[in-house]
Amino acid sequence: MNVELTELHRKFGHVRAVAGVSLQAGPGVFGLLGPNGAGKTSLLRMMATVLPPTSGKLYLLDRDPGSYGPRREIRRRLGYLPQNLGYYPGFTVADFVEYFALLKDMPPRQVPRAVAAAIEHLGMGDKARAKLRTLSGGMLRRAGIAQAIVNEPELLLLDEPTAGLDPEQRVSFRALLRDFGQRSTVIVSTHLVEDVAAACTEVMLMDAGRIVFHGTPAELIARGEGHSVGDAPLERGYSAVLAAARS
Amino acid sequence: MTATAAPVRAAPRQVPRVAPRNMTRLVWMELRRNTMPVVLPLIAVLFWFDSYRIAATMPPLWVERLYYILGQGHALVDFAPFVAGVAAWMGSRDGRRGMTDLVTATVRPRWEAQLATCAATVVCAVGSYLVVMAVTLGLLGRSIAWGGPPWWSVGAGAVGVAAFTSAGFALGAYFPGRFIAPVAAFGALFAMGTSSQIGFSSSGGWALILPTMSNGNFDKDAGLFYPFLPDVQIARVMFAAGVAVAAAGLLGLPASAGGPRLRRSAAVVTAAGVAAAVTAVALASTAQVGPNGAVIPALHDAASDRPILYTPVCGQAGIPVCVHPAYRSYLPDAQTALRPVVQELTGLPGAPVRATQVAAVFQAGPPPLTGPPTAAQLQVETIGSPPVLHLTLNAIALPGSFGMNTSGFIGQIRLQFVHAFVGAGGGSGNPAQQIVQAALLQDAGIPLAAQPNVLGQSPWALPSRGRGGGVAASYPRPISVAASRFAALPAAARHAWLAAHLAALRSGRVTLAQLP
Repeated sequence: MNVELTELHRKFGHVRAVAGVSLQAGPGVFGLLGPNGAGKTSLLRMMATVLPPTSGKLYLLDRDPGSYGPRREIRRRLGYLPQNLGYYPGFTVADFVEYFALLKDMPPRQVPRAVAAAIEHLGMGDKARAKLRTLSGGMLRRAGIAQAIVNEPELLLLDEPTAGLDPEQRVSFRALLRDFGQRSTVIVSTHLVEDVAAACTEVMLMDAGRIVFHGTPAELIARGEGHSVGDAPLERGYSAVLAAARS
Repeated sequence: MTATAAPVRAAPRQVPRVAPRNMTRLVWMELRRNTMPVVLPLIAVLFWFDSYRIAATMPPLWVERLYYILGQGHALVDFAPFVAGVAAWMGSRDGRRGMTDLVTATVRPRWEAQLATCAATVVCAVGSYLVVMAVTLGLLGRSIAWGGPPWWSVGAGAVGVAAFTSAGFALGAYFPGRFIAPVAAFGALFAMGTSSQIGFSSSGGWALILPTMSNGNFDKDAGLFYPFLPDVQIARVMFAAGVAVAAAGLLGLPASAGGPRLRRSAAVVTAAGVAAAVTAVALASTAQVGPNGAVIPALHDAASDRPILYTPVCGQAGIPVCVHPAYRSYLPDAQTALRPVVQELTGLPGAPVRATQVAAVFQAGPPPLTGPPTAAQLQVETIGSPPVLHLTLNAIALPGSFGMNTSGFIGQIRLQFVHAFVGAGGGSGNPAQQIVQAALLQDAGIPLAAQPNVLGQSPWALPSRGRGGGVAASYPRPISVAASRFAALPAAARHAWLAAHLAALRSGRVTLAQLP
């Protein structure tokens, strides 16, 4: 399993952000849905090894990130796009992606080709020399995704990756997700159920720090039958599961 | 919970370590995108206004022209606030930009990545400093006839810039925020201001470690007759390097900086930097001021005590007058100053047969920047057989420095000569010596009424008789009357009296009644 979580908890003071999440995941695209404050970002940050759990067991790529050596090996194979993407305004897109390729300790000979491939994957070849400060929000998001995939990660964690992308970009991005899902574990936190429907093999719904649903998109749609809240079948399933979890 | 049907992965492949080349590339990227070059024009303008503009008006000797820039550390004063501020801005970059999660989730330890950014920032700052110094030395050196700049001082300044940059970066990394840059800049300015105040008032000891402290290590004839003594500068390099290293080490102490081994290394680096800085301060506190500058016994190289060989530049003023080649441009002034006095005293017992320049000596304590030099500094003497007039030209403020002009400089040389000749020694002399001195100076072209001013720029100023003390504007009447009478004598009569009474005059045994 690329991801094995057992009774994972994370508290911030008295606030329980993640409350006993257990999960096993191999290759595939996993959608992580949930309302604001459900704990999605905290869960992704723990899987990105930047936030240690308060308790519980976390194994990523068959390693325990609690120890420094294994944590480095996980990070070598990890791609991560945080919810709030920071960037260095004076860097070009190519600089930015190369910078992270170097931080991920990729072999130097592979770096130029990997950077070019990642930028091309996101359709930013013509913007490779543009400084980040000149890019739109959607373009910045694509640059962020490019840095996440530059090392061909085995575990790809994307927090709101399609925010700011136009419909055409979202379509090509979903294709990218499906492609990565063939060989890697991709976990996508999103509010956009269309993304889940189009790209994810499995979907997890979080509420109040817990996973309240884990199944395929079709199973989630089935849970919404007869439920009136929501415009699309997945939205109805989403609302129905949340309503059931809160009742 | 649902599990996928995917098989368990095989043991992960081991990727070879590629750190060194990646690190070089990281530093190169940080260099290309560094913020430091943005502020360089501002630093250059400030440096020109605050340091270069003043230095260019100073006498054409390395030690004089670089006194403001390196001796009193104005170059560092100009650079430090800016480089510390920009470095803090760079150090706080990840925190300000919300990049912390993103960079933490990478393989390379945060400490290494931060060191790459810090190294690039230091390279930019120090490189800028060195470029500015190279241009400055090139421009200032065009009119300097002899010698070379004090390279150790240049080096100490460069390491000082590195220390401020590194410390600013660490501050920014620990306290990321948009206000950390001005805080760091103000802190550096405050540190340099405090350093200047201590440097002006202290005379040695631990304060020699301060980059703005010129007392005892950057003054008078340094680097001309003897090499610039590097002792204090070596201690300063050690101190600044220690600060820079300690700041770099501090970056590696937080838990997020890397693994346990790396953090232990960071702690060792920090401790080594602190130890170097403390050792440097301890060494500086053992300094003693010798004749050629401050000596730190543990760092002193005896080779620095060997005089520098040079061929003097000579001219005639009734007697041969020889000066150090660095003072070539002052030889005409020295000749002008000595000619009338030599003409008057030629043939008298003890009259010098030649004049030669000797090195001004260092003395413990702060230099009298706003007052006259001390008698110990001047050391003008006519000694030996045949007697030779030893002139310490740079103990007098040279024309162009500290408000001195050419006529004042000439007057001081004449005063030194006559004062030494009448045997007044380190003090003002007894009344008979003062009267003869005044008469000889008048005959040499300095009117009696102007002499109190000339004396006021020397260690032998006339004390005021008023309540407030200070310097008198005129001689006491008995002195001026007797001096006028002596000066009015025919030259032959004056010469004859001096020939008969010179030995007694010098030994202080001539009374007022014995004067003609």
